[in-house]
Amino acid sequence: MDLERDETIERAAQALAVLPPSDAHAVARVMAAVRAHAARRPNRVALVVEWLRQPSLSVATAGALAAAALVLGFFSRGAFRNAGSDQSARATLEGQPTGEFAIPTGTARPASNSQEVRAVPVPLVFEARTASRVVVVGDFNGWDETQTPMVRYGTDGPWTATVFAKPGRHVYAFLVDGSTLVADPRAPRAKDLDYGGDASVLMVTPP
Amino acid sequence: MSVFRRFAAAAALSVAVAHTARAQQDARLTLIRDDATREAVRQQLGGAVSRGVPAGPLLAKALEGVAKRASASSIKAAMARLEENWHRAAKALAPNPTDDELSAGADALQQKVPESALRSLRKMAPGRSVALEIGVLTQLVGRNVAPDQASKMVLDLMARKATGTQLTALSSAVQEDVEAGLAPAMALDLRGRGIMSLLPPPSAVSTLNPRSTPRP
Repeated sequence: MDLERDETIERAAQALAVLPPSDAHAVARVMAAVRAHAARRPNRVALVVEWLRQPSLSVATAGALAAAALVLGFFSRGAFRNAGSDQSARATLEGQPTGEFAIPTGTARPASNSQEVRAVPVPLVFEARTASRVVVVGDFNGWDETQTPMVRYGTDGPWTATVFAKPGRHVYAFLVDGSTLVADPRAPRAKDLDYGGDASVLMVTPP
Repeated sequence: MSVFRRFAAAAALSVAVAHTARAQQDARLTLIRDDATREAVRQQLGGAVSRGVPAGPLLAKALEGVAKRASASSIKAAMARLEENWHRAAKALAPNPTDDELSAGADALQQKVPESALRSLRKMAPGRSVALEIGVLTQLVGRNVAPDQASKMVLDLMARKATGTQLTALSSAVQEDVEAGLAPAMALDLRGRGIMSLLPPPSAVSTLNPRSTPRP
């Protein structure tokens, strides 16, 4: 007896390889049900209820989901709205694609009437040859000194950054070496009635 | 049991999101290194948020004060003024202002733009954001243009469908003229007339191009 080619097994395999004839009525019923299901508009409440009823979610999965949301939330800083709201800003160095970039951090909160106006990029340039670190602070980034570090152009060139601000009036300044707040000499000034002194004003036009 | 687990997952997600928001607020609060100032800001923030003012602009006002080395009492007072102006702006820009409009409106009120000017802007453009127009008005008033004259000019330009670029150009031109020594009122009049000469009269605008779509 040839162990590698058993005729009985081969016959059985051939018989099993042929699909049994299907019931045409049953196929028609199934296809009709599928079409009816596809035609139905999804009911969100029903989907949620169905999701809750499914027994496939384990405690571990739920925990993983929660942990993922937590991690995602921490990395997408800015969900707690900035003053410029929805504002993201990043430093950029024109002509030098390998420059440092700050990660955009703003997350838009829906406006009260869903009339979101897009922020537009505004390049800023500042001369401070002796500075070792310059950041832009303003209402477009919540006056958060961690948001928009400027990048020096070349070894002793001007500091540059691009901020994203919505059309309108914004006030800002440059924070030099973490301690000295300097107004932008290129920008118009406005009196700061809260804290005194002058603030630089940025008028942003719509794109 | 599975239903319980699903509810637990949903609750965990909600808690995580809330915790994240709180953590981000706390992270920004830690930028305030002085303990007393940070505590004062935290207290002011809690009260204002419970009265409906978003935390973002308030926290930004506090951080602005920190950057300008203001005292804790100054920062607290500035936050209180912002809260008050926010509520006034909400009334003037009713019924459904955006946060951008409220932020610009509060800033305008702080710069002594009258509430009536904000109401007029809203009335002129009930269906779209007027944050930019408020900003232009604020900047003009900040350059010592009389609020009535400034608001009239901005309203006239809006009625003639001036673009945002034209409005901000007006602001910049007036700024430069005033710095060059021209009287603010004269600068606005001259520059405003210049822009208006490029625009059709309001009646032609309303006939040719009806007012913007209603607010959603």
